[in-house]
Amino acid sequence: MSSMSIQRSAWGVDSRVIVYAAIGAALYGVVALFSFVIPGSNNVSVRPAFAIVPFFGYAFGPVVGLFTGLVGNAIVDQLSGYGLLTAWNWHIANGLVGLIAGVLAAGSMARMGGKIVGPAIVAAISIVIGMLFVFSDIFVFGNDFNTALTGSYLWVLVPDLIAGVILVPLLVMAWEPLKESLGR
Amino acid sequence: MVERTAAAEPVVRIEGLTFRYRRATEPAIRDISLTIDPGEVLLVAGPSGCGKSTLIRAINGLIPHAYPGDLAGSVMVGGRSTSEWRLRDLAGIVGTVLQDPAKQIVGATVEAELAFGPENLGLERVEIRRRIGEVAERAGIRGLLGRETAALSGGERQLLAMGGILMLRPRLYVVDEPLANLDPASAARLLGILRDLADEGHAIVIVEHRVEEALDLRPDRVLYLEEGRTRYLGDTAGFLAVADPDAVKLPFDAVLARFRADPALMGATRQPGRHGQGPAPPDEQPRLEFRGVRAGFGDREVLHGIDARLGRREIVAVLGPNGSGKTTLFRTAMRLLAPTAGEIRVDGAPAFERSVAELATTFGYVFQSPSQMLFARTVREELTFGPRNLGRDAASFDFIVSDALRRTSLDGLDGILDRPPLTLSFGQQKRLALAIALSLQPPTLILDEPSAGQDHRTARRFMQEVLAIPGLESIFLVTHDVDLALTHADRILLFRDGRVVADGPPALVVEDLDRWIGCNLRPTSLMRANARWRPADAGFLDAQMLAAHVLTGTAAAESHGEGGLTVGTG
Amino acid sequence: MISTPRYLGRGSWLGSRDPRVPLVVGVLAAATVIQLWDIRIVSVLFVLGQAYYRTASIPFRLVRRQWAFAVLFVSILVLVNTILTGGAIGDFDRSDLHPLFYLPLLGTPISAESLSYGATQLLRFLTFITIGFPIAYAIAPSDLGPALARLRIPEKFAFGVDLTYRFIPSLAGDLQETIDAQRVRGYEWDKGRGGPIARVRRTVPLIVPLTMNAIVGAEDTIDAMDLRGFGTGRRSWLRELAYDRADRALLLTALAIFFAVTIASLMGLTKLWVFPPLLTLAGE
Repeated sequence: MSSMSIQRSAWGVDSRVIVYAAIGAALYGVVALFSFVIPGSNNVSVRPAFAIVPFFGYAFGPVVGLFTGLVGNAIVDQLSGYGLLTAWNWHIANGLVGLIAGVLAAGSMARMGGKIVGPAIVAAISIVIGMLFVFSDIFVFGNDFNTALTGSYLWVLVPDLIAGVILVPLLVMAWEPLKESLGR
Repeated sequence: MVERTAAAEPVVRIEGLTFRYRRATEPAIRDISLTIDPGEVLLVAGPSGCGKSTLIRAINGLIPHAYPGDLAGSVMVGGRSTSEWRLRDLAGIVGTVLQDPAKQIVGATVEAELAFGPENLGLERVEIRRRIGEVAERAGIRGLLGRETAALSGGERQLLAMGGILMLRPRLYVVDEPLANLDPASAARLLGILRDLADEGHAIVIVEHRVEEALDLRPDRVLYLEEGRTRYLGDTAGFLAVADPDAVKLPFDAVLARFRADPALMGATRQPGRHGQGPAPPDEQPRLEFRGVRAGFGDREVLHGIDARLGRREIVAVLGPNGSGKTTLFRTAMRLLAPTAGEIRVDGAPAFERSVAELATTFGYVFQSPSQMLFARTVREELTFGPRNLGRDAASFDFIVSDALRRTSLDGLDGILDRPPLTLSFGQQKRLALAIALSLQPPTLILDEPSAGQDHRTARRFMQEVLAIPGLESIFLVTHDVDLALTHADRILLFRDGRVVADGPPALVVEDLDRWIGCNLRPTSLMRANARWRPADAGFLDAQMLAAHVLTGTAAAESHGEGGLTVGTG
Repeated sequence: MISTPRYLGRGSWLGSRDPRVPLVVGVLAAATVIQLWDIRIVSVLFVLGQAYYRTASIPFRLVRRQWAFAVLFVSILVLVNTILTGGAIGDFDRSDLHPLFYLPLLGTPISAESLSYGATQLLRFLTFITIGFPIAYAIAPSDLGPALARLRIPEKFAFGVDLTYRFIPSLAGDLQETIDAQRVRGYEWDKGRGGPIARVRRTVPLIVPLTMNAIVGAEDTIDAMDLRGFGTGRRSWLRELAYDRADRALLLTALAIFFAVTIASLMGLTKLWVFPPLLTLAGE
């Protein structure tokens, strides 16, 4: 019998990466309509669908995560009417979250803390770091540092952490047993 | 056939092929040897899990290129081993139409889909255009050019998926269960295309357990697989003489001949009867009543004024082609969709007085695809989700769970309560979906396309299990599977373009053959056989039952248990 | 209820342009507006943007909801970001501000500068949105991939965008199916109380099945693409793209405006313009 295996690099782009990336972005776009404003907050809006970004990075690698966040967020903005270009730098911030989640998952981070805590930590770190990019609002919108910190970074960090830390471990738990049953 | 073989080199030559997937413990196929010649049509039949998909992947090169594992033996395509070919080059020799066209189609528009393969191969624009013209003609999809693929019907999608493969002009076409979602008109067209291709010298491999329909293609040979091994490889007549009528769907005459030759097979034709069914008193309130109901999506009206009464104690099948409004009917009844006119009454009271969840305690609605609702970590959690949402007493959960599992025969599976639902097999998921519906203890079940995604044997078994569920008063089912509807229902509502065009017992509804064909439904060999062998006012029997009936006489057939499937007999 | 992309500008003047045009104009406009803080120049661009938007003939009643959302959202954003966050404005030193009044309780100064800044910011956003709409509604979904590919975006990325648009309608259908299937189990997403964490958890019955089914289904799509030779070499695109005279004129105009504004910006001519009557009011 000849045994065969297929080597996949974390950065290679094959049909598999493209399909998962497109599915991630489309899912993010479609599910994003389920969002709500935290009562009593300064219009802080929680978008549970955001968890799809770090999850796809975690499950399918940095390239898929990057695409899911970048294109997914652009589509969400476009479908909601906010405009594809209005906050283009936020697409990049979302993309970075997926990318970092993919990088962390490939490393030892994912195996830390078991099946629930590991993914939660990956999600949290990727969101905290990736979303730093929204400080670019200082250049894009001319905001000052304090506005960028409270009005942009913290404004998005809190709800995204809530969505990511809760949902990413649950998605990983549902997906792990499935991964084994898919033929490849 | 023999002359052709002698004249040309085979397109595919498989010798001693055994393959085990990387994560599997057992090989998926064992010791398969096979050649496929130009101009030959090979039918591959067998139940789910027989190794058909693995054989297809071995021929088209996905094994070994995309699916790693242990491979023994050799697969030569176009004179070279598949492992030596690049997939890109193999695409010009073997074209594969996958089972679910919705997943195969990657283009947003019909043109984009047709162009996808040639674009990947870097063909010139002029050449791609020329081929689109040819293929649109050949596949009969010229009228679809310019349309968005998301808006196509199931039949149109299947023809487009075929078109996408025709664009690559392969020498061998592998077509995986193309008839699952096709109405007879589209099926005839697709089989016509394949026949023409074969007559022009292309080789065709068609995988299908609907043998009766696939025989229209006049296959030269049949490969019958079971548990990964070749059980039969030879001409069609020989296949019909050895095939298991339980595992694949055979024409009625073939079933009859099999039973005649081997009476022992008849013992297997047991069908449990339904429980506690008596004829309904004429003045009884119907369970579900539609009065002039209209409904639709946005500007598109799907139901154009439906009047129908579905009884408290009957099995009603809503039968019609895809897109005729069958599913919309019950979505409207469940208040998942608001009617734009008319009234719906449940047990005599207006449906709008109850919430969706309250209606679910009367109607257990089982969706077509079970996995679309499975989300919980364990089967137990999945089963208590509904009762919990409805505020049922947590103390009753243990009973509800064990009762639902018992009624769907899932209780026999080891450790079922703690299994993640998505890791169950498709058939088990289907039964779990049923158990979920039963967890709200409804007296009536609504089944949407119960046979979808299952092979002949499992679909039949599933229906038998549903009919045997204790404590149910009525079952309403939506299907485009003619034989399933006719053999299981007391009454048929025949749908066409959002209207009820016939309403009555099966034998009466099929009498008007023009109307039947007008509804784009297939006249099956079982229909003809029932008409020939059964009294006009009797219920329909399935192929095995009817064959036993024909060979041993009415009494014997009744003793096998016709159950509650008949109206006016007994 | 579930939104999917719609090609509403079909057949319009802008809809008949080369699909690269709305993309390039959009990017140029964004790069132009970013540099502008003088509301007089922004107003000119906003009017030009509106004229450009009209050429896409997008029926207003079909995008009313999107406009309402966008205007509401940016208004709140501007209100929160520029007026209520301590009154600090861009490069201005606090001592340079001309306060008009102080907000009760918070004590935030509302100055001639902050009001001008807020108004400018709002108009900038509306200009972004105006130019962005045609990208969403006046490019045929199937043209987006070829357009990106011809704009030198890596072709696998371009195809990924194409494929994303292909998946959105079917996933939207699947989501509706999942919502229906869960509703008959007594589940309603928008019912029930609880804090943000409970509400996020309540999306699990929708997100998990939808995502897992999409992942399982992806295997077939991957096979279908591999079997038709995807990603194994340079691909061609059936869609032929060529700029006509109108396309070129539009691109040149956008480019000219971009350069003019960039030069003006370098010369320091695009800084915040404080509305003079406000300064008078503040007692200057």
